[in-house]
Amino acid sequence: MKFFKILLIMLFIVLPLTLFAKSQDKPKKAKTIAELVKMYDSSSCKDCHSDIYEEWKKSLHARSIFGPEHVGRTAATFKTTIELGLKDWQASGVKKPEDVRVKHLMICTKCHLPQLEEAEDSVAQEIVKHIYKFVDEGDENSAAILQQLNINCVVCHNRNAIIHKWTEGYPQKGVVYGTKDGDHPDSTYKKMKKSSVMKESILCGQCHGLGPNFEFDNPSQCATLYGSYLWSYVSEGGTKTCQQCHIQESKLGHNMQSYRSKELYEKAVDMKVDAYAYLWRDVVTPTPAAHVKVELTNKAGHVIPDG
Amino acid sequence: MPIPQQFGRGDKMGRGPYEKSGLIRETSLHPNKTKVEKFEIPLYTEEKKDDKIVRNPIAYDFIVDVELWYLPYGKKDDPDNSIMWKKYTKQINLAKGGK
Repeated sequence: MKFFKILLIMLFIVLPLTLFAKSQDKPKKAKTIAELVKMYDSSSCKDCHSDIYEEWKKSLHARSIFGPEHVGRTAATFKTTIELGLKDWQASGVKKPEDVRVKHLMICTKCHLPQLEEAEDSVAQEIVKHIYKFVDEGDENSAAILQQLNINCVVCHNRNAIIHKWTEGYPQKGVVYGTKDGDHPDSTYKKMKKSSVMKESILCGQCHGLGPNFEFDNPSQCATLYGSYLWSYVSEGGTKTCQQCHIQESKLGHNMQSYRSKELYEKAVDMKVDAYAYLWRDVVTPTPAAHVKVELTNKAGHVIPDG
Repeated sequence: MPIPQQFGRGDKMGRGPYEKSGLIRETSLHPNKTKVEKFEIPLYTEEKKDDKIVRNPIAYDFIVDVELWYLPYGKKDDPDNSIMWKKYTKQINLAKGGK
């Protein structure tokens, strides 16, 4: 009898407590843009790393779902994806913008906002609402809200800092991954840990990818740089990393730039031209002509352009 | 990747990232490779004189401009999305006189 009593106690007290604890372990998903922004808040980083923070603010990473400042080309492409893609595809489940869910946006946000995985569909809805308000009406408030969603310090130095998670473990809460181990004087990110990939091209390759993203029900293809880096640069003996050219040699630091930056495009392509005029004889007809020879050499570690 | 393939099949170019899944034609510049393009430019006007074709120089002095542009959306008159990367200028001449 005593045994059954203990068993009952176990069933009614211990088991619910265990289940409650399990549900507490599961990370809560963001229900609003504001909650997602708070979950990935990197504003305290600027207190100590102000130079790096200011560099980053100038980069496209800082407005990864909005696009170039004032222009918002990326936001416009999100709208095109909904209007000409999702709404047009018979099995997508999207007939109107209000039908768009996280899973639909992920074909873009896998790279443009990977943390959207940690948000509920209500956040996808809010994002879509602001995209339409900005693109259709030029709403500045929507533009400002969209620019709060970005690839910031927390994304690269925590969420995406470990790639082989079965090998190295999952990124830990409150840890900033970089080049050192030790204490980190911040109230949220109290520890520093050395990341094995922070200086490696594969870190960037997570988003600046290989080609079609076949993991989606409807694959998208935006960035192909890591593919061309592996198969067209490293395969030919290239040894530099993305970080070497885009952070160090450009001297732009965390203002990682590409085709629109003078620092990068001046170094990326060599152009040699020769030109002269001459008189050609087309059988018997003297024919004035010019010859222009153009040689373009790509000195970057990937194809130009990609996409 | 200048001409991506729509849904990785057929002969149509994909419009945006949501449609691209392959390649129809690759004209990118590849790392550490040199692409050479040669241009022959006629410098004459043509007329018939005594039943013969005559090609007269349009001038004797010319300026050759070669510009390399980055046009992600294909238009030069789009100030937010067009950048001239390189420019080369040379004066060339046709010799006067002679036969």
